[in-house]
Amino acid sequence: MAISFKKVFCFLVLIYAIMAIPVFAQEEEEEDWSKYDDMELVDDKNVRRFAKPTIVGLSPTRFLSVSWDMQMPYQMTFSDIRLPASSGTGWRVDEEGNVAETARARFTGGIRFNSNIPVISKSNIVWQTGLNYMRVGYSIDEIQTNRITGASPSTYLSLPAVLNEKGLNNINWTNTVFLPMSEQHFLILQGAMDLSGTYDFGFQPLETIRWSLAAVYGKRVSELKRWGVGIARTYRVGNMNYVPVIMYDVTSTNRKWGTEILFPARVHGRYAFNKNSLLLFGYELEGQSYRVNEFSINDNSFEIRRGELRPRVELQKQLRGPFWAHFQAGYRIDWSFDADELPGGREFFRGFFGNQEFGMKNTLNNALYFNIGISFVTL
Amino acid sequence: MKKLILILSLSLLGTMAIAQNADDIVGVWEPGHGKARVKIDNIDGKYYGRIVWLKEPNDPETGKPKTDVNNPDASMKSVPLRGYRILKDFEYKGKGEWAEGTIYDPETGNTYSSVITWKDDNTLDIRGFVGVKTFGRSDTWRRLKVN
Repeated sequence: MAISFKKVFCFLVLIYAIMAIPVFAQEEEEEDWSKYDDMELVDDKNVRRFAKPTIVGLSPTRFLSVSWDMQMPYQMTFSDIRLPASSGTGWRVDEEGNVAETARARFTGGIRFNSNIPVISKSNIVWQTGLNYMRVGYSIDEIQTNRITGASPSTYLSLPAVLNEKGLNNINWTNTVFLPMSEQHFLILQGAMDLSGTYDFGFQPLETIRWSLAAVYGKRVSELKRWGVGIARTYRVGNMNYVPVIMYDVTSTNRKWGTEILFPARVHGRYAFNKNSLLLFGYELEGQSYRVNEFSINDNSFEIRRGELRPRVELQKQLRGPFWAHFQAGYRIDWSFDADELPGGREFFRGFFGNQEFGMKNTLNNALYFNIGISFVTL
Repeated sequence: MKKLILILSLSLLGTMAIAQNADDIVGVWEPGHGKARVKIDNIDGKYYGRIVWLKEPNDPETGKPKTDVNNPDASMKSVPLRGYRILKDFEYKGKGEWAEGTIYDPETGNTYSSVITWKDDNTLDIRGFVGVKTFGRSDTWRRLKVN
């Protein structure tokens, strides 16, 4: 039986291939790794190691994000307006305001845009800057007044009427700098400016820009844990305040569970279903001081101190590549919707224990809320 | 005036510190965190880097060599980290820049677009990013002496 040359060639190639596989595999296995053990840097001057700005397992950092926030209907109660700056007859801190006006908010919410762009992102410094916009629009009806019998909101200054027509806007510019000082220790500095109010395209006086600051000194204990302590000047609950800050981020060794805590601003537990979806549960404080143009007379600035506590759960899921979606559901608890009149627009410090009188004492019933959005994130 | 000339001269020297040829990148390098060493090779005109040394080669829990446990591809989770290719497909674009490659982060299991920039004879700037270079982070790698 004749064997063709072609068949012999194929057979030899096959034999060679079978024999070659272990040879190549052996080359991989027999790599002498020890030769890399005692290597030295060519230039070992000025070699410094730095702590990384994150730990593993954290929810993705959002570079760009657009979301829609919406609260379910709730009842609003407004007191009479007293202007302590001009008359010295405001509402005491411990005093309950009268019920001068009531209304029902059918809708509260609007679009939110957040950005957090790296300007410098190196191992020895990370500087991120971001412009943010938040709209709190209102659809308010059933406005009833006890001020002047039979009067309609158009004949007097009605805060629910103004909110219904104008809503509240916030433009924010935040800069965050991460400064590692060693392989473990780091400093985070953050500064923010906010322009908040009932303004439209005309904006409002720039002396009503409110600024916040935070500084946190921390230690990155391992890939799975970091903590920090610091101090912040914040408007998180409406009024300007100085509060201590505690950071505590940890991820379990199986990377399923963790925490993302920057107390008191936000406290979250975290559960990762897999690499592409996770659940956050906890709360966030949200607030700003909003100038109401319509109530601001002479040089003074009349400002609503809006502060909310938002216990919530948030599902985050990767859509594709760096695009993630989130769905948040929670309960919006009214912390403050009172108002102050600021002489000349200048801020003052009441804190937790100050006794400066309020210009208005208002109450919002609590309500369910939802937030849904899409983000461009770092993986 | 002397100071100005000195500064200008040093600046000029700095700008001259660019790679003379594509293979200047070949060698063993240490990332900024110092926990690994990566050997960069030229394979058919493209540049690849694999981990050749780990400060902590064994998993402290099991005592066995570390594997790529964070890889999203389940079939890769048992592949040893030592020998793992974390830099892939870099092409030399001239002027001390290697681009169009990817860098893999074994700590997170994520792969990023990446560009390598020649800083000087012993230093590389490696940037991993998402989409565009702006959304990324840079690390400095230092060259190791090959015995």
